[in-house]
Amino acid sequence: MLRSHFLNMLTFSLLVSVFFAFLTQDDQKERLKVMAILFLSMVVLSLLIAYAMFPFPLNIPR
Amino acid sequence: MPSRGVSALVSCVLAWLLPGAGHFYLGKRGRAMVFFLVVLATFFLGLLNDGHSYVADAQQPLTYLATLANLATGPLEFLSRRATYQRLVYRLPADENSPEALGLLKAMRNKVRSVADEYGTTYLLTAGLMNMLLILDAFDIAIGRKS
Repeated sequence: MLRSHFLNMLTFSLLVSVFFAFLTQDDQKERLKVMAILFLSMVVLSLLIAYAMFPFPLNIPR
Repeated sequence: MPSRGVSALVSCVLAWLLPGAGHFYLGKRGRAMVFFLVVLATFFLGLLNDGHSYVADAQQPLTYLATLANLATGPLEFLSRRATYQRLVYRLPADENSPEALGLLKAMRNKVRSVADEYGTTYLLTAGLMNMLLILDAFDIAIGRKS
């Protein structure tokens, strides 16, 4: 079981980016490019969203 | 122009039965191997992370789509369904207070209590959605719409 949120995010992003790179591209160079773009987009956007949510408390006081 | 000597139906059925098998049948062996490994890794990460399979619940229409996504993984899906409910079941009984429905909900809640269940369930659904795309891709290749 992967208990680390970050490791889960990296693993998921890697699997999805490899899948779509092979599904949409035939050329090896293009595949690598699409894979890198997808992987970095998912990781960077997730970190940005996580950073944007950081100021909000998990438990809203009633 | 359709690819010669291949059947779109056979490629779609093979793609559903085993991730990547449709592409293998169509002669895309390298790609088939990558798809096989990626979908299997996604599916087994779902199992390892205590993900649960969905059952269709008339009270929650979105569960029909989730159940369909689970089913798209093919026979592999039996493993996750058995791991969740200890048997193959696809529909929650209409009477939610019946012993059968309560048993199913209890089995699902046991999985949901696990700390990694949401990740696991997402992996399982993603494996199904990936395989759906593979089935459609195999169809496109078989009829000659894609090389």
